Amino acid sequence: MYRIFLSWRFLRSRRTNLIGVFGIFLAVGALILILSIMTGFLEETRRSARGSLSDLIITMPPYSESRRPRDPAPVLEVLRKDERVEGASAHLGWMCILTRQDERSLRILVDSQSSEIAGIKLTGIDPATEDNATEFRSSLDKVGRADDGTIEAPRLRVASLDDPFAAPPDYNANVGRPRASVIVGEKVMTYHGLRRGSFITLMTAVPDPASDTGWSAKKREFVVAGCFRSGENEIDLERVYIDRGQLARFLAGVSEDDPLPEDSILYSEVLVKLKDYASDAEAVRASMGAQLFQAGLIDETCSIRTWEEFRGALLGAIENERVLMGIMLSLILVVAGFTIFAILSMMVTEKRRDIGILTALGATPRGVLVLFLLIGFWDALIGAFAGAVIGTWMAIKIDPFERWLSDTFGVQIFNRDVYLFDSIPSVVTPMAVAAIVVGAFVCTLVFAAIPAWRAASLDPVEALRNE
Amino acid sequence: MSERGDIVLSARGIVKRFRSGDSELEILHGIDLDLRAGERLALMGPSGAGKSTFLHVLGLLERPTHGTVDLDGRDAWSLSTQERALLRNRHIGFVFQFYHLLPELDAVENVMLPAMIAQSRGDFREDRHQHIAKALDLLSNFGLAHRLHHRPAQLSGGERQRVALARALFLDPPLLIADEPTGNLDRDTGEIVLELLFRAQEERNLSLLLVTHDERLAERCGRVLRLEAGRIVGALPGHG
Repeated sequence: MYRIFLSWRFLRSRRTNLIGVFGIFLAVGALILILSIMTGFLEETRRSARGSLSDLIITMPPYSESRRPRDPAPVLEVLRKDERVEGASAHLGWMCILTRQDERSLRILVDSQSSEIAGIKLTGIDPATEDNATEFRSSLDKVGRADDGTIEAPRLRVASLDDPFAAPPDYNANVGRPRASVIVGEKVMTYHGLRRGSFITLMTAVPDPASDTGWSAKKREFVVAGCFRSGENEIDLERVYIDRGQLARFLAGVSEDDPLPEDSILYSEVLVKLKDYASDAEAVRASMGAQLFQAGLIDETCSIRTWEEFRGALLGAIENERVLMGIMLSLILVVAGFTIFAILSMMVTEKRRDIGILTALGATPRGVLVLFLLIGFWDALIGAFAGAVIGTWMAIKIDPFERWLSDTFGVQIFNRDVYLFDSIPSVVTPMAVAAIVVGAFVCTLVFAAIPAWRAASLDPVEALRNE
Repeated sequence: MSERGDIVLSARGIVKRFRSGDSELEILHGIDLDLRAGERLALMGPSGAGKSTFLHVLGLLERPTHGTVDLDGRDAWSLSTQERALLRNRHIGFVFQFYHLLPELDAVENVMLPAMIAQSRGDFREDRHQHIAKALDLLSNFGLAHRLHHRPAQLSGGERQRVALARALFLDPPLLIADEPTGNLDRDTGEIVLELLFRAQEERNLSLLLVTHDERLAERCGRVLRLEAGRIVGALPGHG
């Protein structure tokens, strides 16, 4: 019984033990915090990437030699018939330059050093079927965060969810004013200084066999119907949604109300959302590919990819970083273990005589070994438990904590404009916490074993010799 | 409890050699000793005569190079470490010159330490009240009723030695080994401790092995052995 009693008493009577406890506490807490944030980054990245990319992306470049149908309807029909498919939607994407009658547009165009994106990915969509395949609709009223960090009430960023491309209510589409509208990314809105109802000019080039250069320039004025927020910085900064038909008319160079010419370009990719991405993705990709190819709906120039293939490098990098960070931070545990080793070694030297007394009173070497191991065990128990609790708490409360730090010291620690997310993502996995705590125990006990062994092999007579 | 006259401790041909560098140093040259129940034996001799080494061999703390130590009818040095530790715990009470109390424990806890070592956690918890009552009883008998929860650092030398004596007696061992128990105390204080030591020895019919430099103290023992250069040079009957 003396082992537990005395180890606890020794622990309490030596303040230096607190250093060891603190070391373990710090190591465990930091490991949990960092790994939770890295896991959070990973999951948040996957989530936002998935939201904006859909599950399967069929890229179908609209080359003129292609014998594929010009209209996406047959492709969509095949896809929507499959019961594993939740929804499918055709997109027409086109790179543009955005300008408006404003000094700012000039500044943006001449700023060659800017890291912000000046080009615009104009994306033609069918608002009626879009939300079956992508999260377009939810991006229109997604909860955002104000500059002071408080969460804004959900608000609609367009006039109407049912008709998102409707012009602002007070907009009067007189003759000479633009009749087609666009929905711009939230960051596009602020970057270019736009409001609902602002006019913007989009310029681009389209293939034109009749021209000397093979291309001809197009430009048209649009009215801003509102904005969207995907939560992913890059998308909010460079994407502008437009009705697919209106984009086709813009590229074909016909007026907003005219019918589309025969040879106009109608779509460049088809986005597919699956009911169960995790289990069906590969099967759907293979069977769809074969089916569409046989029907002559896709050819060699097309590709079917999963969203992960688009983001593979990024996801892989974060996962890699998480593992590396875990390994490097585990070194803190080793350092904490060394502290325990040093403190216990000191303690054994200091307690030589007490060890001799215990032996004289009938303690066995094994009892002495256990006694000193137990001191390490208590260190690990208190340190790891406190570290797990505080680390988990910090990981859960990282956002308010970061804001408090920012407010108190006036330094922005997490720049929400730079990262892809509104808040610092953090996911606490119980298995990871358990693994870290077990690691702390193993590390501490291994390091405590050395001085404990030395204590057990002390010669009691040597220890008791009169001074 | 053994009757007066039974042999409690018996050492035969104790030889102890130390290796120092290349040469071997023989400290004890084959010593025999019998200690009977209730006997008071003083071991005297000049410094370096091997008194402490002999005491440590008898106290099962130091293994002799040759020879046997029988305690409780068993050859102690042929037992396992575990068994020998138990024998030390149950059959020998130690009193040291420098008290050797644990500084982290108060007087009562120090006294109960042998029981803590002997018993498992569950057993000790079960007997806890008896142990505490016994410790309080011993300490009160030694005049320390007002010092029960003081740490060694808060006690005077005499008080510490009385706590150490209570600890040595706690498990009622048949053999008490005292190494210069008054060596670090002034005369009056030492006298009080000695009174308690002798009284306990008589009341409990203990065998007492006392190492001392003090002739007058040795005279109060029943038997005096003189150790010189690792040999018993003379056995005198004492007056105790």
